[in-house]
Amino acid sequence: MTDATPAEPTAGQIRDLSKGRDMIVCEDVSKWYGDFQALDKVSATIKEQEVVVVLGPSGSGKSTWIRCINRLEIHQEGRIVVDDVELTNDLRNIEKVRSEVGMVFQQFNLFPHLNILDNVSLAPIWVRKKPRAEAESQAMALLERVGIPEQAQKYPGQLSGGQQQRVAIARALAMEPRIMLFDEPTSALDPEMIKEVLDVIKTLALSGMTMMVVTHEMGFAKEVADRLIFMEGGQIVEENTTELFFSNPTEDRTKLFLSQIL
Amino acid sequence: MGGFGIGSRNSAVVPAANVPIAAPPEALKLPPREWVKANLFSSPFNSVLTVLTTVVLLAIFRGFLAFVFDPVRQWDSTATNLQLFMTRAYPDEQYIRIWFCVAVILILTGVSMAVWRAGSAMPTAAVGHKLLGTGALLALLALLAPFSASATIQWLVAGLAVAATGEVLRRSPGKGEDERTVSTLTVLVIALAGLVASLWVVPYGHHTYIANRVPRVLAEPGTVALTTKLPWTVMLLIVVAAYFAGRLMRDRLPANPIRATLMVLWLLAPPVLVYLVLRDPDFDIGHVVGTDLPIFLAYAAGGAALLSWLTRPLTGEAGRIIAVLILLVGFCTFLTPMRMVVRIDMLMLAVFALAAPTFAGGPQARKRYAVGWLGVLGVASWLITSINTPSTVEVPGGFFIGGLSITLMVAVFTIVFSFPLGIGLALARTSSMPIFRHLSTGFIEIVRGVPLITILIFFSIMVPLFLPAGMHLDEVTAVIIGYVLFSSAYLAENVRGGLQSVTRGQHEAADAVGMTTAQKTVFIVLPQALRVSIPPLVGHCIGVFKETSLLAIIGVFDLLYIARIVIPGQTEFMGSARENLLFVSVIYWIFAYQLSKASQRLERRTGLGER
Repeated sequence: MTDATPAEPTAGQIRDLSKGRDMIVCEDVSKWYGDFQALDKVSATIKEQEVVVVLGPSGSGKSTWIRCINRLEIHQEGRIVVDDVELTNDLRNIEKVRSEVGMVFQQFNLFPHLNILDNVSLAPIWVRKKPRAEAESQAMALLERVGIPEQAQKYPGQLSGGQQQRVAIARALAMEPRIMLFDEPTSALDPEMIKEVLDVIKTLALSGMTMMVVTHEMGFAKEVADRLIFMEGGQIVEENTTELFFSNPTEDRTKLFLSQIL
Repeated sequence: MGGFGIGSRNSAVVPAANVPIAAPPEALKLPPREWVKANLFSSPFNSVLTVLTTVVLLAIFRGFLAFVFDPVRQWDSTATNLQLFMTRAYPDEQYIRIWFCVAVILILTGVSMAVWRAGSAMPTAAVGHKLLGTGALLALLALLAPFSASATIQWLVAGLAVAATGEVLRRSPGKGEDERTVSTLTVLVIALAGLVASLWVVPYGHHTYIANRVPRVLAEPGTVALTTKLPWTVMLLIVVAAYFAGRLMRDRLPANPIRATLMVLWLLAPPVLVYLVLRDPDFDIGHVVGTDLPIFLAYAAGGAALLSWLTRPLTGEAGRIIAVLILLVGFCTFLTPMRMVVRIDMLMLAVFALAAPTFAGGPQARKRYAVGWLGVLGVASWLITSINTPSTVEVPGGFFIGGLSITLMVAVFTIVFSFPLGIGLALARTSSMPIFRHLSTGFIEIVRGVPLITILIFFSIMVPLFLPAGMHLDEVTAVIIGYVLFSSAYLAENVRGGLQSVTRGQHEAADAVGMTTAQKTVFIVLPQALRVSIPPLVGHCIGVFKETSLLAIIGVFDLLYIARIVIPGQTEFMGSARENLLFVSVIYWIFAYQLSKASQRLERRTGLGER
């Protein structure tokens, strides 16, 4: 990759991922809501251990796309293959893909009637069929990693937004996923809580997780992403390595977007 | 995902532990005179309103007292017929069965109260406050009621004594840290003990109605009969003992198994007590060993083997196909002559098989599931056998029990059975599968469009005519089935409201971690939906309890029927309907109010994580 090494090498710039396995392959994915076309022939490939950040203005289809990848939304045309499993209407494939793909939502979506420990350990116990004791000790270890083991017995409503989002990350990691999807993980947070969540995501990226992140945090994107994808109107406008995307965008629309946002 | 640790704990917004927190200012408490001035006489209009309301309330209260204490009231019709009110004509020589049932319920209550830590600390000042209020009410009653002078003085003295005790309690306790408190359970037990003790001391009189004797009404002065006061004393001791036993269990044993056991016992108690204890089936051992036992054993062995195969994680979705096949076979059995118990067992097995993939897991989980099947099958077989066996309790005219007992029995069975059915209907109605959705919608709309009385009459008269030859269903059981169907349709709509309140994000979060639809429903959607539905569901339960009085129309001797028809029909108490109607409405109110309070407690309890 590029040799223009800045003072601090970032994750993307020191890794060569071109030989990695294809984890997510999208070919001409299209989707409509009624007459409105939300995705228009989106094609992209994400390699193992790669961190891809998806940017774009509101309504550009980035959330729709990322939600298609674990079939929370159903694409109507094209192919999506996740870890060699194609997403079709076959329920078994969908459940297999979903248990391999962790997802973190903008609104956290923790289960309000369960305490933090149960939030994290429920899926391993019932989906992965782990013994309860093992699942709970794993959950505690994950809570330790995201920095909030002392909250294990509390309920989501008693935690701050940043803490809730970190629990949501722990919940996704408890399924030991091979891919993590982040759908605007910091958009619903107060400014002072954004950092604590981004820190967790950063360490996760450095640990070699394959990740796709929809975000508006440019600093974070610059620091963590191997590659950036810029979308508008349901289409991919530009796709480039982090370095080139910021230093030398090719499309006019990207330049405009960057000039407005930076 | 190697070693990734994170140091963002510092940036979390955990408040520092040692920052002194300013105590909130104590609520401004006005002295009584100021309070009255600020709240009741703040403006001329308010003053007029206060005076007017007080006058109207006093007039109503006085009218009510004039009714109750009118010398023409035949209150001995109520006192004499208390046994009739409670159980109707359940034979005296078997009455120990009734007390056994009461004891079992009280033991469960006592242990559960201890295990679930019922009761809370109540400041003695609050107890004093309540006593003061009660005393004041008694004094007011003494002044307003049409008593003779001596009676007025007696009631007045009693009221003032209660009020004085309350005032002493109210003033004595310290403030803040050393505020004296007393458990609400202690208060409750003291009150109950007072009531029970009064049975031994106060000359309520000994009233009994004896049908086969002349004169039939027995009225002696003195305290109540030994057969009344002794059992109630024992019951009080039992419930207190059970509470302390429950505390021991709570402290010595792990919490979850005890709670699970208690829940199962609570669910088992109604059918077992009614059909095995009160009904006292006269088992035919030859038939039981020759027919019922082999059927049970076949299903136990076959079912356990099948289910332990189905709960292997490897079996996966293939299990559902087998489950559906069993279900189909189960329905087909209705086309051929066959013992009812074979069909029912088959349908139960199909339900277990359908749920099996959801509960799949390691050896432990599989064993638990098989044991669950054996337990359910055992209880069901036992009950079916005993329901099919004639009862030794012979009571002329209809069901063997009546009065409050049958009111409670029908209400409890209806509520218990219509919950799973109603939840199932609600889930079916919101399901994405069109067959379920249309069937459920059709059922709900049809049942809701028909008056309850129609359904009750249909089930009591028509259904027995449609049954295949050789099959009997006693009238009360048939009516309960009809009532369950009616109630579940309404319950389903309440639950559906709750289901709709679960946000899309919750569904997506459950999907995103790979849960199956069944797991999502059981662990995520239903708990939240039911919590939201608590108020309408409890309202529904209260309605079901009160509407059991419609059973009177099809000739069941329930509480209201006895008060309205049976007692006023006794030659000794002609036309005593009004007293008895007042009495039963107080009983209905007590139960309905307790349900309502239980619902408030439940809401507070389940609101724990919400903030």
